[in-house]
Amino acid sequence: MKKALITGITGQDGSFLAELLLEKGYQVFGLARKESWYRQNNASHLSGRVEILFGDMSEGVDIASAIQDAKPDEIYNLASQSRPGESWSRAPETLLVNGLGAVRLFEAVRHHCPACRVYHASSSEMFGQASIVPQSEETPFNPVNPYAAAKVYAHQMAKIYRESYGLYIASGILFNHESERRPLHFLTQKVAYGAACAALGIIDSPDINEMGRPIVQRGKLALGNLDIARDWGYASDFVYAMWLMLQRERADDFVIGTGKLHTLRDLCETAYSSVDRDWRESVVSDPALVRPMESGQTLADPSKANKLLGWEPTISFDEMVKKMVTAQMLRLKNLVINSN
Amino acid sequence: MKKALITGITGQDGAYLAELLLKKGYEVHGIKRRASLFNTDRIDHLYQDPHVSNRNFILHYGDMTDSSSLIRIIQQVQPDEIYNLAAQSHVAVSFEEPEYTANSDALGALRILEAIRILGLEKKTRFYQASTSELYGLVQETPQKETTPFYPRSPYAVAKLYAYWITVNYREAYGIYACNGILFNHESPVRGETFVTRKITRALARIKLGLQDCLFLGNLDAKRDWGHAKDYVEMQWLMLQQDQPEDFVIATGVQFSVREFVDTAAQEIGLTIDWKGTGVDEKGYDANGKCIVAVDTRYFRPTEVETLLGDATKAKQKLGWTPQISFKELVSEMMREDLKAAERDELVKKHGYSTYNYHE
Repeated sequence: MKKALITGITGQDGSFLAELLLEKGYQVFGLARKESWYRQNNASHLSGRVEILFGDMSEGVDIASAIQDAKPDEIYNLASQSRPGESWSRAPETLLVNGLGAVRLFEAVRHHCPACRVYHASSSEMFGQASIVPQSEETPFNPVNPYAAAKVYAHQMAKIYRESYGLYIASGILFNHESERRPLHFLTQKVAYGAACAALGIIDSPDINEMGRPIVQRGKLALGNLDIARDWGYASDFVYAMWLMLQRERADDFVIGTGKLHTLRDLCETAYSSVDRDWRESVVSDPALVRPMESGQTLADPSKANKLLGWEPTISFDEMVKKMVTAQMLRLKNLVINSN
Repeated sequence: MKKALITGITGQDGAYLAELLLKKGYEVHGIKRRASLFNTDRIDHLYQDPHVSNRNFILHYGDMTDSSSLIRIIQQVQPDEIYNLAAQSHVAVSFEEPEYTANSDALGALRILEAIRILGLEKKTRFYQASTSELYGLVQETPQKETTPFYPRSPYAVAKLYAYWITVNYREAYGIYACNGILFNHESPVRGETFVTRKITRALARIKLGLQDCLFLGNLDAKRDWGHAKDYVEMQWLMLQQDQPEDFVIATGVQFSVREFVDTAAQEIGLTIDWKGTGVDEKGYDANGKCIVAVDTRYFRPTEVETLLGDATKAKQKLGWTPQISFKELVSEMMREDLKAAERDELVKKHGYSTYNYHE
């Protein structure tokens, strides 16, 4: 039986990946902080089926001991401070976890299980204000926030460990990938949540945003710049690409994305119209939510993954948005039932 | 009186820069780490007794991996300019200590930028970040200039790349006057003894006087663009005196191989080296046929940077900067100083006292 260790197992990608690997007959280990595991999280339903090793990416000893305990054939390094916007106010922590955490993991692999295959989660944020559209594996990086700079750091270190020591480390440069498991502060989830509130006639939402106010307040959903455009895919498609990347003979880096661009306005339109509502009546653009520096237009050129991995997304943008809105409606209905 | 804070003041660049700024009338503050040995040799001549009044050269204990010490010092000093020269600056060592290298070189730069922001000094304090030609690594075009894409090849270079980007990010997001100086190799008689140029001049001087037998080197074909540190710190200061903060490549635009450096240095002290063999078996012999230079594969890096050559046109045009000291003058000065040191050792030994070898 193959063994896999997933860092960041309590996150969206970690939980989808754990499900996929269990389906494929893997023994699955997860590295998680106690405070993440002992509260409701995306992988809570897998309790008993995955083995949790407690530890923190900011402590090298935790990582080395998890690797020695699990003796994995494959490691998926998904743990990170995953909010680019918030990285401005948490820059040191972001580098400590996303950058140095990865290096601690690579060092541990080099010393304790050099034959192990490692997937590292890189990010399209690394392209930042890219002058070249779409972006491929060859596009130079231009990070415009501390999150992206830390991801560039880890990505380049992965490459150095691969080239210097012959370790099998493959980095997936993943474009935005969403699902109903995203926390509510993610843009796509906010929109899905807003649409669900509109559908259910909720004027002041029970959940609050990062400014401590209801996400939907007096019937309005406040967002930042509506013109930003992203390449949004569905997370379960993307974790399948991660697995595919580790089944190749040689480690390589891949851009994973849908190759299709949608503006935030499109997203609102799709989400609200899926419940027969007009987004223009509910969505407002709030200058306070615009980031100090926005990333440029990030659009994936996934042709290498198409060709070498045979990978293609299976769930469309419309299907994804619909799934997310439906999930939020279900959640809100349950909340209402429980509070009554 | 302007106040400057220099991190890495005990290093080669820190010492030259401190000297320059003192000459320009600055009050100079420096941060040094506590070590079990004295580490202030390079700034010993600038030292001022803490008991004298009106000191303009002041050292503080601190550490790039200790954010509270950095915030405390910056708050106390309220500097007009900060020069971030502190780093784990050895490429080969960075493969052994990747985490520490990132902590001091990448996070260290971020900690200072954060201190500027937290203390509300964004409009007052100008920030110089010591970036490096190692960012270009596996070079994507020759010569390298400000627009050349980066391709780092060592944990040192990747850590420095983070510091580069975070400097750009903080400049653009918070309007801090912050610049990167992308400096190509710069040497001097006070270059660290484990860096290849200094290792060569020290060893040749000692071989000449019979204090050492052989010089072991790594990749003899590696080509670098070598300038003099004294020239380069002038530019660090100039970069902070402009209207707008910008990044600059600083280089001589001339390139030599490690082997050529050895030849030039040897000539300075009347040695001629006869090279025989190739690759790892290449050896250099003196006039008597004695092997004095050999390759040791332990000095090869896991991933090698073969060639670096800078194009400093932008610095020349916008800063009016050109290097004053030639390659030959640089090597000559380094050789002269190391020969003096070797002669001192020889003299001490002759009189029955012991000297240190300072092995790597």
